[in-house]
Amino acid sequence: MTHPRRHLVSILVLAAFASALAWFPAAPALGQERTVKIAGLGAMSGVIRGFGINSKAVFDMTVDELNKAGGIKLADGSKARIVTTFVDERCNAEEGISVVRKLASEDWLVVIGPTCSNVAEPLFGILQQKVGAAGDSGLQFPIFTDTAIKPGLAKISEWAFRNVPHEPTMYNHLFKWLKEKHPDVRTMAGGVESDFAHSNSNAGTMEAAAKAAGLELLGWEKWLLTDTEFSTQVGKWRRSKPDLIAISSHPFTLCGTLREMKRQGVKPKVLVGLTSSATLETMVGCGPEAEGLIIPTGFAPVTPEAKRVAKVVTERYKGNVDIHSAAVFENLQVLKRVIETSGVEAKPGTVAQDRRRIRDGLAKIKEFDGLLGKVKRLDDRESQKPYVFAVAKTSDWAVLHDPR
Amino acid sequence: MEFYQSLLTLFGFRILLGLSAYVVILTGQISMAQAGFYAAGAYAAGAASAMWGWPLLPSILLGGLVGGVLGFLVGFPALRVRGLFLVIATLAFTEIVRMAFLNLKYTIRVGERTIGPAGAEGFRGITYYYQHGWAPWHILLFTWAFVLAALLAFWAIDRSRAGAVLRAVGEDELAAASVGINLTGAKVAAMTAGGLVAGLAGGLYAHYATYVSQEDFGALLAAFAIAYPLVGGTGSVLGPVAGVLFFSLLIDGLRFLGDWRNLLFGALIILMMNLRPHGIVDVGLVRRAARLLRAPRRPAHAGP
Repeated sequence: MTHPRRHLVSILVLAAFASALAWFPAAPALGQERTVKIAGLGAMSGVIRGFGINSKAVFDMTVDELNKAGGIKLADGSKARIVTTFVDERCNAEEGISVVRKLASEDWLVVIGPTCSNVAEPLFGILQQKVGAAGDSGLQFPIFTDTAIKPGLAKISEWAFRNVPHEPTMYNHLFKWLKEKHPDVRTMAGGVESDFAHSNSNAGTMEAAAKAAGLELLGWEKWLLTDTEFSTQVGKWRRSKPDLIAISSHPFTLCGTLREMKRQGVKPKVLVGLTSSATLETMVGCGPEAEGLIIPTGFAPVTPEAKRVAKVVTERYKGNVDIHSAAVFENLQVLKRVIETSGVEAKPGTVAQDRRRIRDGLAKIKEFDGLLGKVKRLDDRESQKPYVFAVAKTSDWAVLHDPR
Repeated sequence: MEFYQSLLTLFGFRILLGLSAYVVILTGQISMAQAGFYAAGAYAAGAASAMWGWPLLPSILLGGLVGGVLGFLVGFPALRVRGLFLVIATLAFTEIVRMAFLNLKYTIRVGERTIGPAGAEGFRGITYYYQHGWAPWHILLFTWAFVLAALLAFWAIDRSRAGAVLRAVGEDELAAASVGINLTGAKVAAMTAGGLVAGLAGGLYAHYATYVSQEDFGALLAAFAIAYPLVGGTGSVLGPVAGVLFFSLLIDGLRFLGDWRNLLFGALIILMMNLRPHGIVDVGLVRRAARLLRAPRRPAHAGP
């Protein structure tokens, strides 16, 4: 081997080992300042990265505001500054488990995240199922999810909490309302991104809601998360001429489908989309084609506080507040309240007790103020959030109906 | 400490997956089917322990058996194709397995919970480790028992006539056939052994993660499986281990770079493959290491 080559190999090996240093736990702060450590977890790379980027923007904005306002009051009356990290889980289960185990081995008190339901499932699976259960060696580490929306996940572990919209409630209401507003709508066809857990489960939710509203289901067309060609599926809609088309897919394939619908001239009387597509990403990707698309959403800038948060995050943190990232703001406010009222000490020797205090505190919360109004907490550690029906109008989201 | 134990456990799955591809590569075949065997092992072992109430060891062994049988079945048709055609055929197999699990719905009630493969929603509730009070170091020891067994088995094979036969087939099929080596037997045996080890790894992974979904077992996993031995080197069983260390350090260490991580990750792999075209642990390195270990002993001083 020549010398330059040997040097390059040495550099590569050094780079690999230097990168391994990222695995070592962070050293405790040397100063006397008290800190409360809260970690964020989201998809910062890959197809779904838009969600993680928005969550991080809201996470940073909220933490900055809380710290500017004096931080969090601890059990002994002192004030603690919030210290954070935001880790990429790449929407990959193995990576999600790896980073959460790392956070749990350090002195982080609670995690907000992850983005993807297929990461939330195994993360909740490695937590202790029932608090204090003898013989259950699962992690005792609270996770408060903002985005992963697949129904019923929090019941996997008593250490798992979610503040995500309750889709069955929203879609039941939406289809009932649509039927009242459009009595001539009788048939529905659906489209689903069938290899993505959330899209797939939501298709079932949409179907049940449509049937409950008295619609006749003509069938479901399927595609995959990374598909780029939808002519066959849209062609079937063109031939079956449904009154309503419900599309359960994320912005990337939703936009592909909408563009194909425009190309083939498919124009249903009503078009319904997936909660996770009520985002700016959809408007940027296919605003004109999405005109008239109706989606129930847990966030819209319809209250003064919601407007303020949306403005600050967009202008100063280069992100967007949407149905998912709005929950990060709410989760941090709730955590502040829980930490201040449940005796959290935030001392090096009290990490395990503090995690338990936060878990118990979160479990006791019955209601809190969200960006759209009161959020009810349910016994299964899920939320029942206020929502509105949004409609795509001139490449932006507008409120079509506000049932709050 | 628990984090490092968990990390070493994760290395264990990856090393097993790398070894499963390594044994196939020895015969000159590049197989993308390892992800399919891994998936089948994960679902089979998960179903055995979480749904049918089997003890853990038989469940994991069932995963290995399912992987091995699939390896045997894939091995025969794979004989008819070589090179890139084999890559495509085996990738198609992995996709078939993935699509099968995407559509497989088989759930039962176990206590208060519904458990089993639920199509696109995945298979949750494979919680044997945690429900039986296993600490991370228990999981680590259990996983590494399989890793060490596989490493020892492949090391022994490498030093036996069987290993020489596999390498001979990989070096030059025509020459191997001309000296009476059964090409079919060698290739199918390698594919079966690879399937068995990948199935075991899948079973162990399913129990570690508690949840598996078809999304976890796509082309990317198949590519990593062959990348471990190719980048690590096929000179000895330590090659896949070196490959796993190289990739694992980069995957987690570059996380802070966000989307740039994939770019730099790819560039570092290309660079490494240019600098070490036969892998980190290639035949030359193995020979040099062997010479060092067999360093000539100093001759005994002659007596006066």
